[in-house]
Amino acid sequence: MLLGVALIVFFISHLLNPNPALLWAGPRARPETIKAVAAAYHLNDPILNQLYYYFQSLLTGNFGTDPQTGRSILSEILFYAPNTLELVLASMLIIIVLGVGLGYISGMRFGSKVDSAIRLFYLSTWSTPYYLGAMLALLVFSSYVPLFPSGGNGTVGFTYTPITGIFVLDSLLQANWPALQSGLYHLVLPATTLALLSFGIVPRIMRSSILDTRWSMHVKAARARGLKEGEVRRKHILRNALIDTTTVIATTFGWLFSGTIIVEQIFAWPGIGQFSYIAIVSVNYPVLVACVFVFTLGVIVANFIADVIYPFLDPRITLGEGG
Amino acid sequence: MSGEGKRLRRLITSNPLSMFGLVTATIFVVLAVAETVTFGKITPFNPYQVNFDQANLSPSLAHFFGTDFEGRDIFSQVIAALPVDIGISVAVVVVSALMGVVLGTLAGYFRGAFDEVIMRLTDMFLAFPQIIMSLAIAATLGPSLVNVSLSLIVVWWPPYVRLVRGAVLAVAAEDYVSVSKALNSSFLYIVRKDALPNVLPSVLVYATTDIGSALLTLSTLGFLNVGIPPAMPELGRMASNINYSLFLYPTQVVIPALVVMVMVAGFSFLGEGLRESLDVKLRPHILIRGRGLEKFEDSQQKKITGPRPGPRTDESH
Repeated sequence: MLLGVALIVFFISHLLNPNPALLWAGPRARPETIKAVAAAYHLNDPILNQLYYYFQSLLTGNFGTDPQTGRSILSEILFYAPNTLELVLASMLIIIVLGVGLGYISGMRFGSKVDSAIRLFYLSTWSTPYYLGAMLALLVFSSYVPLFPSGGNGTVGFTYTPITGIFVLDSLLQANWPALQSGLYHLVLPATTLALLSFGIVPRIMRSSILDTRWSMHVKAARARGLKEGEVRRKHILRNALIDTTTVIATTFGWLFSGTIIVEQIFAWPGIGQFSYIAIVSVNYPVLVACVFVFTLGVIVANFIADVIYPFLDPRITLGEGG
Repeated sequence: MSGEGKRLRRLITSNPLSMFGLVTATIFVVLAVAETVTFGKITPFNPYQVNFDQANLSPSLAHFFGTDFEGRDIFSQVIAALPVDIGISVAVVVVSALMGVVLGTLAGYFRGAFDEVIMRLTDMFLAFPQIIMSLAIAATLGPSLVNVSLSLIVVWWPPYVRLVRGAVLAVAAEDYVSVSKALNSSFLYIVRKDALPNVLPSVLVYATTDIGSALLTLSTLGFLNVGIPPAMPELGRMASNINYSLFLYPTQVVIPALVVMVMVAGFSFLGEGLRESLDVKLRPHILIRGRGLEKFEDSQQKKITGPRPGPRTDESH
């Protein structure tokens, strides 16, 4: 799968590119420089040889050197990726809590005013472009009501030794409370924006699976057995409904990644979304390849985690009762 | 025909969601068509006219949405951008849907190696964030409307193939298709008479919502200044001068983005409402053949009076 994606990226980046060496060497480079750059990146070789180099570098986890900064791409990725991970995980947390919660309420109060209001809310956020949401968040919560900082991830002014590279986690591990506070403070606005604008499908699926299970026989049976209402709701309705929702939450990971491109741009978040955008507009395809690789890896890992969670949610697999 | 039209109308008007969507989408499409047909005569000002005396005006009666940093009327720019935005989105969705119908039917009907290849290909395309791929393609191909459409289509077709293939697989397993095959009907005949009527409604409903998503992605490309030719008015790009106008003149960037939002909401509410009323997963024949609605209404009636303790979900996954 990953290899297939790598193949697509390779063909698109190589077939569409007229002459990247020209761009990488700069507009006023001498012809010798351009030739040297082309040779360094094997650009004059036949396409199959390039494919070979490409896969060799991918499989060894060595993405090469960034033709624009001259640094190793791997080190750049390792710098940017944790920041994005921090943002995406924080959004994920919000999505899970809010999405599942709203979907649950909406499903349990089917047909009521609350239901319509919740549905209107998630359908509208779903059709809001990321840039609009981010701009409004910035305007309202950072300019008109200056509650939160407008950009950055809060690392400025703090010396910290990276353990995981995730600022909030690092400062928590090292018990550096001011740094933790600054990190969280900077995280709130971008993470909430990203979460609210991507979560639309989660409450929707949650709601429809609640509606599916709510009147099903096993729930009736549970009530007939005289279980407490709370227990019925928790163990028989919510748990069943979470199975489909888990799948969907895993797919929202992909959207979160697309969202980071815009949100990181607007909130000046030094993450991989911004990094890949810069790579894209400057036709810097070694970096682009690395970014797509990381994104794809993220999506695959998310799906894997969902697969691991299923057995815990589905009593037919673990406990063999209910169901 | 008129009977079916009436049923469809009732179907849409019965649901406030699809009603709102229909009205909004129609307004924008009509504006876009009018703008194209009259060659830009319906805008109150020339959207390209730079006028520094009137730069950065707030919204007023003369300039509904105000003017931008070069004194161009934003309302006129928005109107001028509609044909581009709606046109490309519709084109992308139509081409993707056609690809999906053709490839999905072939894959679902013939199975075998072709099916395998197509499915793995869609898997790969669905595995990474679409926008990165279309950004990359649009950036490398250079700014032009055709290139933008291409870059979107490349990532847009896989869901349609899946949708159609799934439906065709289900239809191909039906007895009436086996009978038809036994009667030596040709492949095309079976597709036309059995497969397409079952597949098209769900594709149509999905495509309606999808026009909105295409619009979102397109305007995001515009926002990132990728792919749209420099002089072309485009809603996403109008929203992209945030660096110098977000805090000083928020209306300049927020209004075009709001227009995108309303437009996207229009298309997705329409699609969502249709999906709810039709429950296409279970009753796909209603839209095409028009004769299922009585049954649909009967079943709605039964839901209320019948033995079922509560309504079924009308949402498909």
